[in-house]
Amino acid sequence: MPFARSVIISCAGIGSRLGLGTTKALIEINGKTLIRWQLEQFCDVEDVRVVVGFQAQDVIDEVLSYRKDVIFVYNHNYFETKTGASYYLGARHGNEYAFEYDGDLLVHPDDIKMLLETEGEWIAYSDKMSDDAVYVRLNGRGEVTAFSKELGGFEWTGPCCIQKNKLKYLSGNVYNQLEPYLPMRGIKIRACDIDTYDDYQRALVWTKENFAGTWK
Amino acid sequence: MVRFIFDLDGTLTTCETLPVISDHFALQEKIADLTRLTVQGNIPFIESFIRRVGVLGKCSVSQISDLLEKVPLHEKICAFIAENPEHCVIATGNLYCWVDKLVRRIGCQAFCSEAVVQEDSVTKISSILKKESLVTFYRDRGDTVVFIGDGNNDMEAMRLADVAIAAGLIHFPAHSILTVADYAVYDEGALCRLLGQLL
Repeated sequence: MPFARSVIISCAGIGSRLGLGTTKALIEINGKTLIRWQLEQFCDVEDVRVVVGFQAQDVIDEVLSYRKDVIFVYNHNYFETKTGASYYLGARHGNEYAFEYDGDLLVHPDDIKMLLETEGEWIAYSDKMSDDAVYVRLNGRGEVTAFSKELGGFEWTGPCCIQKNKLKYLSGNVYNQLEPYLPMRGIKIRACDIDTYDDYQRALVWTKENFAGTWK
Repeated sequence: MVRFIFDLDGTLTTCETLPVISDHFALQEKIADLTRLTVQGNIPFIESFIRRVGVLGKCSVSQISDLLEKVPLHEKICAFIAENPEHCVIATGNLYCWVDKLVRRIGCQAFCSEAVVQEDSVTKISSILKKESLVTFYRDRGDTVVFIGDGNNDMEAMRLADVAIAAGLIHFPAHSILTVADYAVYDEGALCRLLGQLL
């Protein structure tokens, strides 16, 4: 039986820390919106679900200009909740495994391909890149044992994948969804998280360096 | 039990049915004005429906029924219904005497508005379906209700349903229903995938 998985892209937030006056999905990175970069990464995935909230119709219009068969999931409480709620809402009626991808994230295309080929549950992390990071702690087997705001070697960026029935409605972050199930398999990736304007500037350079000639 | 309640016009059909009737009987202008005012929110749906039936009710009921029988349907969604008829019902404000042959083609139970017909014409509307009442009926029986619709008149039913899907298959869903929708889909295949996941 094939591995039943849904990809959930969380794009409901208002992007307040970025300060560009638009939800992060619609910011332009080297000629394409961020959501467009992400959708191209998942072009071979059947069940892609985009969670929308702030500027929902603008995000929907942008997604539909590339792909019509996406399922849009509403997080109407986007102002009071964080990505943990969007993850739950996106996953709750989806396939058995819920692959979560934050709307502010870019992952190296080779690493996304590897993650899409990885079955079961896992948490991805990267070298520290962003200004406002949450860190992961690892044990000797390379498993993620904790998330921490204190300085650590690796940054929690996502994506992650977990069985959908382990998720519940909560107002916190995605890592709060994962904490009850630690330790979990950790996978190191190359990723760029865009939370602040400085992160955005770094992303402009990072995509040119890492994706030249790789993406359409 | 999961109960899927489908709006008819624009959700199961690939076009709206009232314009099909008005085009056939050359009553486009009268109906178009009413439709425009309804979409703009200037006339409540029930008033608009009564007025539209007032215009179209003089037309031959049997001709309308034959006409609507041929209206094209979203075939993949109808295939889903054919595979799961016990889970599916249709809810339409349209008159049963007009859509009877059409809903028989789809093959699941249908709830419609009703009218008194004399000499092949509608003489009086006898009941107007309130879709929200149907949602309440099935929820009270213990069913998990999934409502699939696209128009302003689906708003209250979608608000009360356990899961509300806004369907944008032939035009964008009404803005009002997007404020209560859990999902929005713009592709028939995506809708069928979601229905299968909800089953």
